[in-house]
Amino acid sequence: MKNIVETHERVKDFDWSFSYNDKPKRYPTRYKIPPKTKDPFRHLIRDYCSMEQEKDDRQYGAMSDVIARTGMPGKASERWMEIMKLVLPITCFGEYAAMKSCGQLIDTVDNAELRQGYLAQAIDEVRHTNQQAHLARYFAKHAPDPQGFSQGFKLRSRTIQARAGQGCLSGFFNSDPIEGAVLLQVVTETAYTNPLFVAVTEIAAANGDETTPTVFLSVQSDEARHMANGYSTLAAVVSNPDNLEHLERDFDRSFWRAHNFLDPFLGAVYDYFQENRSSSYLEKWEEWIAEDWAGAYVAKLEPFGLKAPRWFDSARANMPWVGHTAMMLIAAAWPMMFWRFDPMTSKDFEWFEKKYPGWYEHFGGFWEDYARIADPKEGMIPMQLFDKLPPLCNTCHMPCALPRPDIATLRVREINGKKKAFCSEACEHIYHEEPQRYDGNPTLFEEFDGMDMADFIEQGGFLREDGKTLIAQPTLKWDKPWTVDDIRALKIELRDPLRDLPVDKVEVAA
Amino acid sequence: MSTQTATANEPRDFTFIKPRKRRLTEYEAVTIHQQWDPGGFDVGTTFLRGPDGRAWWEAERTALKHPNWFEFRDPAQHWQRTYVRMQAEQERSIERMTEDAVADGMFKEIDRSWLSDILGKHYRAWSFFEYGLFRAFSPAQREALSDSLGNAICFQSFDHMRLAQAVVAHLLEIELNVDDFEDRGAKELWTDDPIYQPARHLAEDLIKTDDWAEQTLVVNLVVAPILSRIALDTLIRKPAPLYGDAVTPLILMTAERDRRRNLDYAKELVKMVTSDKIDESASNREVIAGWIKEWTPRVIEVARNLAPIAERLTKANVDFDAELQAAVDGQAQLVSELGLGG
Repeated sequence: MKNIVETHERVKDFDWSFSYNDKPKRYPTRYKIPPKTKDPFRHLIRDYCSMEQEKDDRQYGAMSDVIARTGMPGKASERWMEIMKLVLPITCFGEYAAMKSCGQLIDTVDNAELRQGYLAQAIDEVRHTNQQAHLARYFAKHAPDPQGFSQGFKLRSRTIQARAGQGCLSGFFNSDPIEGAVLLQVVTETAYTNPLFVAVTEIAAANGDETTPTVFLSVQSDEARHMANGYSTLAAVVSNPDNLEHLERDFDRSFWRAHNFLDPFLGAVYDYFQENRSSSYLEKWEEWIAEDWAGAYVAKLEPFGLKAPRWFDSARANMPWVGHTAMMLIAAAWPMMFWRFDPMTSKDFEWFEKKYPGWYEHFGGFWEDYARIADPKEGMIPMQLFDKLPPLCNTCHMPCALPRPDIATLRVREINGKKKAFCSEACEHIYHEEPQRYDGNPTLFEEFDGMDMADFIEQGGFLREDGKTLIAQPTLKWDKPWTVDDIRALKIELRDPLRDLPVDKVEVAA
Repeated sequence: MSTQTATANEPRDFTFIKPRKRRLTEYEAVTIHQQWDPGGFDVGTTFLRGPDGRAWWEAERTALKHPNWFEFRDPAQHWQRTYVRMQAEQERSIERMTEDAVADGMFKEIDRSWLSDILGKHYRAWSFFEYGLFRAFSPAQREALSDSLGNAICFQSFDHMRLAQAVVAHLLEIELNVDDFEDRGAKELWTDDPIYQPARHLAEDLIKTDDWAEQTLVVNLVVAPILSRIALDTLIRKPAPLYGDAVTPLILMTAERDRRRNLDYAKELVKMVTSDKIDESASNREVIAGWIKEWTPRVIEVARNLAPIAERLTKANVDFDAELQAAVDGQAQLVSELGLGG
């Protein structure tokens, strides 16, 4: 299109003031948005379609041609490939939730220019959902072990990680639309898509997985536009001082919710599934989140009155530990997952101690025990190493053991006659701001309280084609795979830890 | 034992989707069960409620009932790649035609009354109606009760913005190539001219409608076959060649292709919710028939209000009443074929 600037000027003028109806109030917002702002990308559909088609052809072409012919997924590190079984069902939901967020924003924000940007983003999000689902199916066809890829989307709602992920990522669309935009575009896309879609590709490529970078980098090429949508939305919001009070609260809440799910999750993925090791997640976090996002992006907004998120310093202090704690708890309950785990080796131990000084003192013993009991003959799973397990947080659905079990502050409260656990001061504060958003949403432990672990596995479909062998395994070796009979013999009851905890205490979690 | 050997008998495809036909299609694989379905396909519940306590998706956001909305399949089988490829092809064809028209001086040969009275006014004013439909479908895609429905609706919202933008880009090209033609004043027509007020009122009501299925079915089964047909085909596409305009009809034909696709998925939705296999069949049929009955007379009146445009088409000799009657008859037949009365 030759006259992109002029065409864009004219398409900005599509909105009109309603005469025959009130403005729809489907998605109430506390914010006042000015009708004019800037869409720096000048989204026009003709150029958009052409650009996206070209990107699709490159990505899908590479997947169906070179990568498939050379059998790359089969040559990648198995340790690495296994965790993609969890990553993709979670990221897909984030993308899907983002599409819904854009629908809400278009309905709510009376600004034709922003609406054009949100529409392009909505189609992008369908794109990303499709790309990542396609990648999961591709791995089901080509990865060494298809189980977990072939039905991860079915099993995800029975895992703590995906449920916590949905709790966080559904904030994109089940919120005040502007709060959703803050969580989606300002925090998640601007701060976290770099660690996710760029940094994870480095690890994938270093571990022989060329397919994930092919997809993720193509996804990330759209994210710059989404960050611009976020910046434009934010610029519109801060232009009215009345919005600042709401914005600060939503910004604080969004950052904490994103941090408390994404950082433990990405830290576990990044640090525990690398085989050919390079940088740590903490190093990436410092670079992308602390320096680039908080240090540069957020700092630029300070003149408009927006401060760094309230719990940023707590999050930063937690960062050396949250991924290790999350991974320890995931690995402890490995039979309830749908991927295989590779025990940490002495080489891994050295790397962890170097990258996270003090790691061995807190986590080394667990991983030594983990390797020791990997054989079914040992008659034990790592969960049984713990005297007690942490309950799940009523707000974020993450284990109340973060950042590290010995320094976690578990809060058990009785609210309206019901016992609730909170993992942190932030999550408790967030709950009290809007309890109606968190009540009535049982955690995994509450939902399956009292069930035998073997029944959980059987009923949930966590079994391989023979109907006996677990999809998850504690090692990558196949000489002694665990079966559901091995688990049944252990007689493990999934007892909600919250049941046994006294109320009104702030105490160490485990 | 290697992993390949140990897993030799494991399925090498998604196993969690029930394919419509014998084999899982790529469309189904990348679309179905992307939306969480707590209490259905998924366990658990909404893990974050809305500020008003709402769930992620709520059955009561439409008057239609179905035990499993995830059974819906878009007959076009569009996922993002195929959809964007199709629209990129349509847009490229418009761009090429426009380039050729400019190179051949075709825009200068267009009858001036056509430029000033129809393209500069009616065609451009109608871009606002298309924009209104884009807006109506945005909350509809948010609220739809499955991914396969939400995606089809999202693509339709994009269709309407595509046409709205294509109109603007087209008129700008004409403006740059024809002296004394300016794309000005159409917004005032849209907001103030009595000819367009019923259409604007309709657009505002469609945007305001809270039932996503009602929006979808009313636009595709009532508005498109009657109003879009009159506003775009009768008043622009068909007479255009008589005024030396070869490009506009081709742009509108791309929109017609979109309308056919959207009609197909709307028909599929009607078939799914009125299938004898579900208990709610009769009540759904009644609800949809009620929507059709409520909106059709109004849409006919909105279309009838465009009659003065036809009077400007002196060369074309449009029999507006006959055209409108044909559109109304065609729509009645469509509705009748779907078993929704007529």
